[in-house]
Amino acid sequence: MAAPPPREQALALLAAANNHGDLAVKLSSLKQAKDILLAAEPFQAAELFPFLVDLQSSPESLVRKTLIDVIEEIGLKALEHFSILMPVLLTLLKDENATVVKQSILSGTSIFCSVLEELSLQFHRRGIVEMWLEELWTWMVKFKDAVIDILFEAAPLGIKLLTVKFLEIHILLFTSDRNDSERSTVEAISRGGRGFNISWLAVDHPVLDTATLTLDANRSLGILLDLLQSASNLPGLLTISIVNSLAAIARRRPAHYSPILSALLEFDSSFEMAKGGHIASIQYSIRTAFLGFLRCTHPAILESRDMLLKSLRGMNAGDAADQVLRQVEKMMRSNERASRDARLSKDEQLSDHLPASLDHGRKRSLPSDNGDPSYNKDIGVKRVRYGSNDPAAPSVEKNDPGQDDMNGVSKIPLLDSNLTPVEQMIAMIGALIAEGERGVESLEILISNIHPDLLADIVITNMRHLPKNPPLTRPLASDRQGEPSGPSQSIVSTGSTISMEIPDLTAQVPVSSSSLIGSSPSDMSASNNLPFDSKRDPRRDPRRLDPRRMVASVGMPPAPSTEDNSNATQSGAIQHHVDSPSSFIKPLSPPVILSSESITVPLMPKSEAGLTTLASLPTSYVDSLDAKVEVKEEESREIVLNEEEKGALEVPSFTTVEGEQDSVAQTSSDFTMVDEVYSPPSLEADEHSPAIPDMEAAEEASAELPVLPSYIDLTEEQQRIVGALAIERIFDSYENLQGPGGKQIRMALLARLVARVDANNDAILAMQKHVTLDYHHQKGHELVMHVLFHLYSLMISGSEESSPLAAVAYENFLMGVAKSLLENLPATDKSFSRLLGEVPLLTDSVMKLLDDLCCEKYLGKDTSDGDRVTQGLGAVWSLILGRPLNRQACLDIALKCAVHPEDDIRAKAIRLVARKLYVLDYISENIEQFATRMFLSAVDERVSDVDLSQSGVTEQRIEREVGSQETSISGSQVSEPGVSEMDSMKGANMDTQNDSAATLAHAQQHVSLFFALCPKKPSLVRIIFDNYARSPKAIKQAVHRQIPVLIGAFGSSYSELLQMISDPPQGSENLLTQVIHVLSEGTSPPDLVATVKHLYETKLKDATILIPILSSFSKNEVLPIFPQLVNLPLDKFQTALAHILQGSAHTGPALTPAEVMVAIHDIIPERDHLPLKKITDACSVCFEQRTVFTQQVMARALNQMVDQTPVPLLFMRTVIQTTDAFPALVDFVMELLSKLVSRQVWRMPKLWVGFLKCVAQTQPHSFRVLLQLPSPQLESTLNKYPQLRGPLANYASQPSVRNSLSRSTLVLLSPVNESHLQQSHLTPSSHAPDPSSSLHGAMPS
Amino acid sequence: MKFRYAMVCSSNQNRSMESHALLKKEGFDVSSYGTGQHVKLPGPALREPNVYDFGTPYKFMFDQLLRKDPQLYRRNGVLPMLKRNLGVKSAPQRWQENAADGSFDVVLTFEEKVFDMVIEDLHNRNHVFMKPVLVINLEVKDNHEEAAVGARLALLLCQELEATEAWEESIDDIITNFEREHRRKLSYSISYY
Repeated sequence: MAAPPPREQALALLAAANNHGDLAVKLSSLKQAKDILLAAEPFQAAELFPFLVDLQSSPESLVRKTLIDVIEEIGLKALEHFSILMPVLLTLLKDENATVVKQSILSGTSIFCSVLEELSLQFHRRGIVEMWLEELWTWMVKFKDAVIDILFEAAPLGIKLLTVKFLEIHILLFTSDRNDSERSTVEAISRGGRGFNISWLAVDHPVLDTATLTLDANRSLGILLDLLQSASNLPGLLTISIVNSLAAIARRRPAHYSPILSALLEFDSSFEMAKGGHIASIQYSIRTAFLGFLRCTHPAILESRDMLLKSLRGMNAGDAADQVLRQVEKMMRSNERASRDARLSKDEQLSDHLPASLDHGRKRSLPSDNGDPSYNKDIGVKRVRYGSNDPAAPSVEKNDPGQDDMNGVSKIPLLDSNLTPVEQMIAMIGALIAEGERGVESLEILISNIHPDLLADIVITNMRHLPKNPPLTRPLASDRQGEPSGPSQSIVSTGSTISMEIPDLTAQVPVSSSSLIGSSPSDMSASNNLPFDSKRDPRRDPRRLDPRRMVASVGMPPAPSTEDNSNATQSGAIQHHVDSPSSFIKPLSPPVILSSESITVPLMPKSEAGLTTLASLPTSYVDSLDAKVEVKEEESREIVLNEEEKGALEVPSFTTVEGEQDSVAQTSSDFTMVDEVYSPPSLEADEHSPAIPDMEAAEEASAELPVLPSYIDLTEEQQRIVGALAIERIFDSYENLQGPGGKQIRMALLARLVARVDANNDAILAMQKHVTLDYHHQKGHELVMHVLFHLYSLMISGSEESSPLAAVAYENFLMGVAKSLLENLPATDKSFSRLLGEVPLLTDSVMKLLDDLCCEKYLGKDTSDGDRVTQGLGAVWSLILGRPLNRQACLDIALKCAVHPEDDIRAKAIRLVARKLYVLDYISENIEQFATRMFLSAVDERVSDVDLSQSGVTEQRIEREVGSQETSISGSQVSEPGVSEMDSMKGANMDTQNDSAATLAHAQQHVSLFFALCPKKPSLVRIIFDNYARSPKAIKQAVHRQIPVLIGAFGSSYSELLQMISDPPQGSENLLTQVIHVLSEGTSPPDLVATVKHLYETKLKDATILIPILSSFSKNEVLPIFPQLVNLPLDKFQTALAHILQGSAHTGPALTPAEVMVAIHDIIPERDHLPLKKITDACSVCFEQRTVFTQQVMARALNQMVDQTPVPLLFMRTVIQTTDAFPALVDFVMELLSKLVSRQVWRMPKLWVGFLKCVAQTQPHSFRVLLQLPSPQLESTLNKYPQLRGPLANYASQPSVRNSLSRSTLVLLSPVNESHLQQSHLTPSSHAPDPSSSLHGAMPS
Repeated sequence: MKFRYAMVCSSNQNRSMESHALLKKEGFDVSSYGTGQHVKLPGPALREPNVYDFGTPYKFMFDQLLRKDPQLYRRNGVLPMLKRNLGVKSAPQRWQENAADGSFDVVLTFEEKVFDMVIEDLHNRNHVFMKPVLVINLEVKDNHEEAAVGARLALLLCQELEATEAWEESIDDIITNFEREHRRKLSYSISYY
């Protein structure tokens, strides 16, 4: 009634919010108005609502957004009047501003939920729904449709994200959360307004029709699924959010799981089509979704586990998937631990009131559990949750595995108690069972969450205490026929009885098969954990009664059991072994029982004998067992029963009992395994009569009964044998098994058995062999992994006593499998590598095996097979990539092989290291250091027995230097001279053959790796150059062999090399030349030419380096350096000559042969600082190449030279050589001589001698030329070569000649001088041959 | 700076803190977390890490390790890292226990496993506010050098996100371009608060 002031105030504020010029004022006014409205009575506030509505057209988006905020807050308080404001919400859904729209969706959603809640509550409380609420609901439906419409309109992505989220909420709201896999109650409690679920609705609700709403939700789901299908047109973000939403829906509402799963699977496979967004992220969202499903333990989802695993493996997320599975398991353990603590604290009170333990059990059961059976049936069933992924628990546990910290620090299991998880689990289950009926429900939830692995553990651990006498169950089951227990309970108990019974029971109790399926496994383990309970307080355990009770009810002859008790100490286990299956089989095939029982008798007296017979026993009952397996396979979940059987078989293999329970175990040893299996029925019976008195009675009774079956300790030997048999059997069934579910369990069981049995056992060896034979098909790999992971987990988590054992078993098993893989599979098979890549830990021995394999030391069948090396190196490679922890060790192996003396191994290893490993930045440095060290040590002659295994970062020690020095000295002495440019090559030849070969190989061995790295990192080349000079000959030799390959590998990217070339270190000329040579093979790139030229001009005056690039030189470039080329050793000059004449493809040869000839003659020894001998040699070289320096060439060259001034020094020598070489040129030569005569050759002393010689040699052709000489010269000629005189006179006497001669010539030739002629004729030889003293080297060759 | 950022690695020591420090210096509204069970620092041997609970002050760890083996921890960079960290905030925080810290707009993780955990954790929370949160994984190796590189990349990425009108529209492009430009594999997902 005191309304006016606030009302006026609010009006003023709203007006300000509408009209004020300042945005800040508007907003604060609006907020103040909101406060007033909130404080007012709803109906009063409602009067002001129209003013609020006006604000929706405010031009400021911020105002509109705040308005929605305000509306939501007020609306939630005054829901009754909210209809007035709804149009605002709807209008603003279509606002142009994205933030406003988003806010509308948010606020609308929250109101939507509130309205729903109100709707259901109102009807629930008052039985009616008021008009206003009904009206509001129609608004809500409009709102929902409007939001969904947004999805199909062009809207900003931010808005669409929210609409997808809204759809998700919508679906969750309208899909029943019965059997909810996750936190329906949590949702209800913590979500405030969003606790509504369709399952709240009464069937006859006037407004909300369940069927319609469900349909609506399904339609929404359809929309999401459709959108997913058209994802290729959607932005990646939207696709991801749709996938996420679908995943969330599937996890929370398993009813939708299968369509969603198939849509996601389909999407995954057709996913390459999607091009809308960031593909990797979209794929990742699918992966996340699948992993999320794996975390779920709802039966519907569990069924598809294999499929999920397969797809996850397909997207390379197998590891993550395995990890999730382990997490789930761990999570369960943490739950156990929590309840165990509770249990411990409770234990003390236990003797008084068993129900005291209820409190912690109830933590997991639901609040609705109040013990009233009908209520239990109604709500309890509804609320049964399978995958209780307690939101708190996962966050605690799930991130443990591989929290690899800084620098690969691996995780350490932190177990804070001596109890293993399994024991904790058993303790917890025991505690729950102790609660009786009330605990069952919690138990179910718990057990349905247990991973097969863990379940197997539990079973096995429980098997520790086996009874000897086989209780029979059939009668008990029939006892229970009349029990009025609730459906779930009775089914539960059925689960643990033989499958044969199931038909009866299902007939009796109308329960869907799904609930049957769901509950049976849970109860199985419910029974399993009883022993633990009993261990803790054996006298209290209800099952103590069971054996007797069963015996009594079955009417089984007491004789065997008493006999057992009296005799059986050693043979007990065997008896279990035999008995328990037989008891199972009984209903199916009575004959078997007979046989087995008959066998038990002989066993009694002597255990040894028993054991031997046992070996032959299995055939009979295994057959029946198999038959049974098949029967059970038909019931999908009955597999768990199989597991029980397996458990029964392997019981004896148990040896270790964790510390504190030991003593208790002894006393509580009076339970048969079968007993445990069938104990639930008795429990069920107990439930109806008060449990406690019953048990107490039992306690009293037990004191008086002397013949309780006692526990039998097996000798180790027996344990081993029996364990081996169990393995054999399980493995057999594993191999033959087709169904997917059973394998998991068999694997888990095998893993545990292997942990128990000595790994060198025949059975295991056989298994290893078998596994390898069908490593791929039969999923041998999976099994091996399973076993290894189990052993590993024992190793790292086990107590002090068991972990060393496990470590040994692990090692042996791993080695066994690895070896048999190597032996049985071809080298090309990848299994070996895969095995090493995926096992949890690589032991030293495996690394050794790998090492041996790589080094060909592994003594397999085919030692000479190089493929094994490849296989080993392949494994090394994948390990380096995949196992950071073993990286160094593997790298060591690879590097060791890379300097292996064996060429083949080395080549393979080098290929691996250089191509594959060196590119990995995390090890490239190590590799480089190692290679460099090897190279340097080779250079320093430290290579002989360098410690190869030490490839770490630590510096190589130099100690070994001394020892190896000896061998190298001879080599280096030989190469010492160093004058000969090709010393390294020649040196090698000088060396004794063997020695050089050895050292060369030795050098190769150590430098090859380094060379292989060079192309990857050109800067390494400098190291080669720097160390070349001081290298011993063998290394140089090796280097020269490697260089061509190396340069070839460089390809076009040799800028580093050019840099190197432009500044070579002292002493590396030979190397440099080779490099240049190789580089310029074919064509010489211009930059190379430039670099080399520059080098030649500046630093290195050795023309040798120019040779390789000569072909690309022009004439003008060649001529200046020609003298230097001639000055080179003959062989090098020859090469140079070839290059010059060859030229490049583009420019043609730099010099023609004639020009070369001329160039050679143009060299002046004094000026060009080279001995004349070099020039004559060069000429000789030319003459040797007659195909190049043909007579035409020579003619041209000589023709050119004869006109030169001065005439080249060696001209005459060449002329003489030419006439010798090409007699046909004699006429041409005569012309040349004539020319020389005209050029007064006698004035050129050095040529004159040659001239005369030539004339003398070429007579009679030269007579004409001779006669052209002036008389004095002719005279001196004739004096020198008197033998010419006669012929010449004859020639001159010819009339035609005579006429043209001068008088003085005729006089000279006159017979007056005949005597002179005669005289000199006698001694021609003394004159003729020796012009060389005056004419350097003019002697024709 | 319109967004709130969270940097997450496993121990909230190296990678997340490196980025935290850098982004903080650049004026971003940033927090950092670890998703591990415990905080683990390298110890004298691979199998002997130093294990702390989240919430243990960096100063405490620093003092303790300084007492234990100053040479070792200085050499392996742990001490310098802790010193840097204690200048940024007082103690490592756990992602799974950060509900009280309010909602973030962008969460950057540095390891796939951490990414998975953050997403799963967000999934398990109640999405009361329906407020989208972008989670991006940038794979960074857990060593000091890579962390420094990773932090710079994180900064670049955050700057690009800040520069957008609404990240929802351009996230695909941003991620794709970033990948191409820096040759790093990224993946992102989306969840809600």
